[in-house]
Amino acid sequence: MGAARPLLYYRLLSPQTEESRGRLFRGYDPGPFYDEMFLPDGQARPHYARMFRELDSMAPEQFEERRQLADLSFLLQGITFTVYSDGRGTERLFPFDLIPRILPASDWDRIERGLSQRVIALNLFLQDIYGAQRILKDRRLPRSLIYSCGHFRREMIGVQVPGGIYTHVAGIDLVRDSRTGEFLVLEDNVRTPSGISYVLENRLVMTRTFPYAFHEHPVRPVDHYPTELCQILRSLSPRGGDAPAIVLLTPGIYNSAYFEHSFLAQQMGIELVEGRDLIVDGEVVYMKTIHGLMRVDVVYRRIDDDYLDPLAFRPDSLLGVPGLMGAYRAGNVALANALGNGVADDKAIYAYVPEFIRYYLGEEPVLRNVETYLCSRPKDLAHVLDHLPELVVKAVGESGGYGMLMGPTADRATIAEFRDRLQDNPRNYIAQPVVPLSRVPSYDPRNAAIAGRHVDLRPYCLFNGEKVVIVPGGLTRVALQPGSLVVNSSQGGGSKDTWVLGGDL
Amino acid sequence: MLSRIADSLFWIARYMERAEDTARILDVNYHMLLEQPVTSYRLRWDQLVTITGEQERFFQCYQEADARNVFEFLAFRRDNPNSIVECVSNVRENARTIRDRISREMWEEVNGLYHTVSRFLPEEEMNVGPHRFCNLIKFGSHRLHGVSDDTLPHDEGWQFLQAGRALERAEMTARIVDLEYQKLVEGPETAGAPDNHQWMAVLLSVAAYESYRRQYHSRIEPQRVAELLILHPLHPRSIRFNVGVVQQSLRAISAGGSSAGPEAYANEAERLTGKLHESLMYDRIEDIFSRGLHRFLVDLQKTCRAIGEQIARTYFYYGVVA
Repeated sequence: MGAARPLLYYRLLSPQTEESRGRLFRGYDPGPFYDEMFLPDGQARPHYARMFRELDSMAPEQFEERRQLADLSFLLQGITFTVYSDGRGTERLFPFDLIPRILPASDWDRIERGLSQRVIALNLFLQDIYGAQRILKDRRLPRSLIYSCGHFRREMIGVQVPGGIYTHVAGIDLVRDSRTGEFLVLEDNVRTPSGISYVLENRLVMTRTFPYAFHEHPVRPVDHYPTELCQILRSLSPRGGDAPAIVLLTPGIYNSAYFEHSFLAQQMGIELVEGRDLIVDGEVVYMKTIHGLMRVDVVYRRIDDDYLDPLAFRPDSLLGVPGLMGAYRAGNVALANALGNGVADDKAIYAYVPEFIRYYLGEEPVLRNVETYLCSRPKDLAHVLDHLPELVVKAVGESGGYGMLMGPTADRATIAEFRDRLQDNPRNYIAQPVVPLSRVPSYDPRNAAIAGRHVDLRPYCLFNGEKVVIVPGGLTRVALQPGSLVVNSSQGGGSKDTWVLGGDL
Repeated sequence: MLSRIADSLFWIARYMERAEDTARILDVNYHMLLEQPVTSYRLRWDQLVTITGEQERFFQCYQEADARNVFEFLAFRRDNPNSIVECVSNVRENARTIRDRISREMWEEVNGLYHTVSRFLPEEEMNVGPHRFCNLIKFGSHRLHGVSDDTLPHDEGWQFLQAGRALERAEMTARIVDLEYQKLVEGPETAGAPDNHQWMAVLLSVAAYESYRRQYHSRIEPQRVAELLILHPLHPRSIRFNVGVVQQSLRAISAGGSSAGPEAYANEAERLTGKLHESLMYDRIEDIFSRGLHRFLVDLQKTCRAIGEQIARTYFYYGVVA
């Protein structure tokens, strides 16, 4: 990098010429997968037709230039995560792919109905499991599954959480199965799901990079998310009143989601605090200000249960606030999300969520689960052990792609290792068949062309005790490595802006 | 306002000012020194390091104080906590922890400066000399202040920025004047006309050269330079001006904090600042010279440090559990 080169220097190439047509899509092969842009006959799907025309007429140089512009914008805004491999901490951009994932209104309606139903059922389950435990008494869920769950918190039994809300924010991961084109639920995240800031920032960068594309598509906005979340947080204040003191509790700048924490705090106009900024006295939480202590009413916490209060949970935690759990139990402070939610997104409990929907709501699930084998069931375990090379095995309490075996791509030693682990602790694992995820055309900078890449979708659901509000779309994560099915950012995944269309094109 | 946030704002301003002052000293003196006779060469490069208070660390890293080494040490060394790149990193680290409380424009300015500075290649800069690099830092600092003034509400947080910058600048100016004046008394052969050159550098390095010319219409005399830099009521680089800013900011922060009336002080930081400002307002430069300039400036630096400690004690630290 030349020393004196100004960082902000860029120029835009002249508009496309006739010769550029078709160069970006040269050699495009949809493969044996559901392609979100193209029909099996090679025509663009109606809701993607305009976008396809736009991209197809663009020269690769022009596209490359916009890509660099977008990257620069992310860099200058500091939307980076830090990798500490070299001891100094280098900052990486979360890769962003410029080609949007577009969902037609009909797909979204179904997703929205399915997610609302699911989030309400998950919340009812948490109320029940930390209350009367009807579902266990009615034998619709094995008792042993709850008591063996690492994230089940006995301390929460009988605690009245404000408004009866546990799952204020839920991120539900969906995938589209290539074989049927149907959206399936892959997993639930109801502890501290992250990624919404990327949804909002991706949109901002897209409107700057491809402004005219928005004129041609009725894209539904997403920027009301912070307002909706803030409304919910305000309603939780145990003291009532017009101006509750709301804080966002972060583990600090070394956390990989720190950008999101500061972004949300800023957007909602609430205080971003670390554990050391808070103090509990007489079961009341205060923050340390330059004019003395000030009472805190609501904590939107982005610290895991285990680290929240060293007196109640892990005593070695330096991130939390001693005494916070006591203040919470006494009803002097509200926490969002509630404590103990991990029992609802345990991957073995996941298999029962369709049952929760039937049991608590008397409805049929709109969105189906991915077929799941619970290794705690001897019959399932036997099947899994026989078919390891074909299955995905997941540890029940993990997230972010950790503790996972991808059977088809794993080497023999890894498979053998998982075989031992499954037999040692079957309750800790589930297995699923490999879902052939749908693909969206994505730009591959190595050969300056567009190719199909697998995606998932994480919509963000807000629950205010009565209804579920979902900003249209969510985070589309994309596996940028050719052929890869792993979309996690820790494993080379990137993201796309997700457009839900407000009407037909 | 959270104490931690006030603390970060105070240090964002201090580190940015430190980077700017170091860049100014380096830029001006570098070019001045190249025109100096070879005999005093080493001695003078040495003194640039002394201004930043890092002699000991410097000679752990280098055998000799020459142009190249001094430039590298003051600008680029990561193991010199007061080097320009380290100061800029610290500005950015502090800004990062409170980016929800500063404006987006302010954050992007800090972040952009950090990334730009990180892309400079020390070896390449050492060949072209420090001007390009130093200029970037100076204007980065000006932009940050401009953006802060224009995009932040002028509330307590902004006052902490003002206080941090002014306190750092007052102390830095005291160091520069002290060092230059010591050279004058220690080396009689360098006194007199040729030293115009040296004092001109001092004025340039604190951006006061044109002001001096307009004010005095005379050749550059050490006593007048000292008067301008220490006692000028309106020059934004004079010590008196900056101590005044610290005083105003501290009063704005504690507004109503004292029940003893509008002129009373609310805490020890305000008392020390007020007392210092008073003496700068009513002392004449002749009085200061007759009592000894060096002694005066050393005491002043000590007071500045004490003010910094008292600000921290009053607003940043919660030593005792409630």
